[in-house]
Amino acid sequence: MSDASIQLRALLAEKFPGMATQLHETSAVSPPVWPVQLSSLAANWPNELAKGALTEVVCAGVNTGSAGLMQALLVCGARENQIIGVVDGSDSLDVAQLDPNVLSRLFWVRCRSVPEALKAADLMLRDNNFSLVLLDLKLNPQSHLRKIPATIWYRLQRLIEKTSTVFVIFTPCLLVKATRQRVMLSSFI
Amino acid sequence: MFAVIYIPNFSLQAVLRGDPAGDAPVAMVDGESSKPLVIEVNSSALAAGVETGLTANQAMARCGNLRLKSRSDPCETSATEILMQVAYHFSANIEATARGTCTLELKGLSLEAETAQRAWGIKILDSLATFQLAGQMGFARTTELALLAAQVAQPILVVQNLTEFISVLPLSVLAPPLAIGNILDLWGIETVGAFIALGRDAVAERLGEEGLELFNSVLTDSARPLKLVTPPEFFTEQIEFENEVETLDPLIVVLRRFLLQLTRRLTVIHLVTGELILEFGLASGEKIQRVFKVPAPTNDVEILCRTLRTYLETLQTTAPIVFLSLAIRATQLQGHQFGLFETTLRNPNQFSETAARLAALCGAGRVGVPVIEPTHKPDSFRIEMPRFDATTPGRKIRWETNQTALRRFRPVVPAVLDFREQKPIFIRSQLLAGNITNTRGPFVSSGQWWNLDRWGREEWDIQTVAGVHLRVFRSTDGDFIEGIYD
Repeated sequence: MSDASIQLRALLAEKFPGMATQLHETSAVSPPVWPVQLSSLAANWPNELAKGALTEVVCAGVNTGSAGLMQALLVCGARENQIIGVVDGSDSLDVAQLDPNVLSRLFWVRCRSVPEALKAADLMLRDNNFSLVLLDLKLNPQSHLRKIPATIWYRLQRLIEKTSTVFVIFTPCLLVKATRQRVMLSSFI
Repeated sequence: MFAVIYIPNFSLQAVLRGDPAGDAPVAMVDGESSKPLVIEVNSSALAAGVETGLTANQAMARCGNLRLKSRSDPCETSATEILMQVAYHFSANIEATARGTCTLELKGLSLEAETAQRAWGIKILDSLATFQLAGQMGFARTTELALLAAQVAQPILVVQNLTEFISVLPLSVLAPPLAIGNILDLWGIETVGAFIALGRDAVAERLGEEGLELFNSVLTDSARPLKLVTPPEFFTEQIEFENEVETLDPLIVVLRRFLLQLTRRLTVIHLVTGELILEFGLASGEKIQRVFKVPAPTNDVEILCRTLRTYLETLQTTAPIVFLSLAIRATQLQGHQFGLFETTLRNPNQFSETAARLAALCGAGRVGVPVIEPTHKPDSFRIEMPRFDATTPGRKIRWETNQTALRRFRPVVPAVLDFREQKPIFIRSQLLAGNITNTRGPFVSSGQWWNLDRWGREEWDIQTVAGVHLRVFRSTDGDFIEGIYD
């Protein structure tokens, strides 16, 4: 290894303590996950979600079951007494379908636009009181979603990487750049 | 044994707490008279030749860079509160003797030795100094003597030998009536000791009842009982702005200073902030008051300041601000231990601030915990601010795994439904248009027929030819798409 490489690694280790600078360091610890065991309900639903990272649930088309998956996650979170934040990008959550015990653990932010939803998500992730945050952009117009700069997602990812928050983003198309986990939902009919 | 805390130039010190002048010469003028006279001066002004009793013009002529201040009742009220609360921290038996003067009883405090009294006094004066109040203390066996000692102390004086003390005590500290003062001056009597040496009978004979009162104020043997007071657990800082305030930054600076002062006062008596009460007086005469409950009582100035800042960033007033008051309702510190299965907020104050910011972003009523209203009317709920600490773990949660979830359109989307044999067969709307291939319904519901809010509707679940599943309904206002099944 050249002296320049060694110096660069030393410099990076000094500037970013805790960052992996060698390949073997990255594989030592598996990233933390939240086990949800949902695949028994629907085949394409996940069994675990990454903590401290962005998870994108792409629900392209209709009848994908994304609203059902969202409800399932809310129920799982509430059963574990988690405090759940829902950033509702188009104010579409049907709260009447949820059990009052789920609602009592739910902090619901009813947004009217994509920028509003992203700002709200930013605030909630900075808060560090929520163990599960859902950002629902499924019904927002794709033309608006395409205008979201990629830097936003990297910023959100940087916000939660030091936390144990599970952050799930529901999108109608591939959108999130900095995601660690992506779940593709397709029409079940 | 008694102790007296005396704050010289109290009105001036009270005003300068909010506007520190450093070493600059400052004089306080009595703004109520037509020809304002200097009533109090600081040491720099005194050194420059400014004395009490001069007119403002005379004072300015003697000292060109003299700053003139007027008395402020809100500032004096706050300073008096501080004085009493600090005193109460050191003795349970205190009396508000006069403006800037507090008498403390030392009974039961084990402060017989002079060194112990001096050490105790230094602690009290240090506490006052943290609130920008410079005090003096006197210790004596009667309240009157302790007050006299406090007035000449530098900064602490313990009266052990009465004769020795009064022999050098200037007569002016007794504040004799003008006529008696003039007579004693003519007699060449300049100290209290010389005055006492005249003898009680001689004073009574020559100076009458007023002279005897003056004599007894020094030589009384019986200690008068104190009019005990208990300072309220309500802490206020107030300011009347000299110039109207129209922007946020100066307010934040003042509020931060207020919070520093108030939290220090609370820390002295081992309490924390439970509630903040912010009040503005506008130039138009209007008053705005807002109460902030602190979710996790604290004395952290940063947290409290952020709470106020979040509110102020969205505040719009109809007129500039001329008066500001910040009060704190104190409470006991509540301990909290996080459990293994954590159910409460990690940082309630941070959460409260986030909720306020989200409410400012999205609007009030759009942020919080949804609570279903007790009605059959669809999509009826209200939003409440959460109390996550109040929920209990281990509850049964009902959830139908096979139910189809709905995404609602808020507001509902107007549509036109074509019917055949009382079933919708075609839909047109801004979202979609097409034949309906499958329907379930109608599901008829109505309610509140007994008042003006009555409602009624026929609801269908439909599947369009494109495979989209929708919930539609017909009411007296027309046809609508309520949501999409997903």
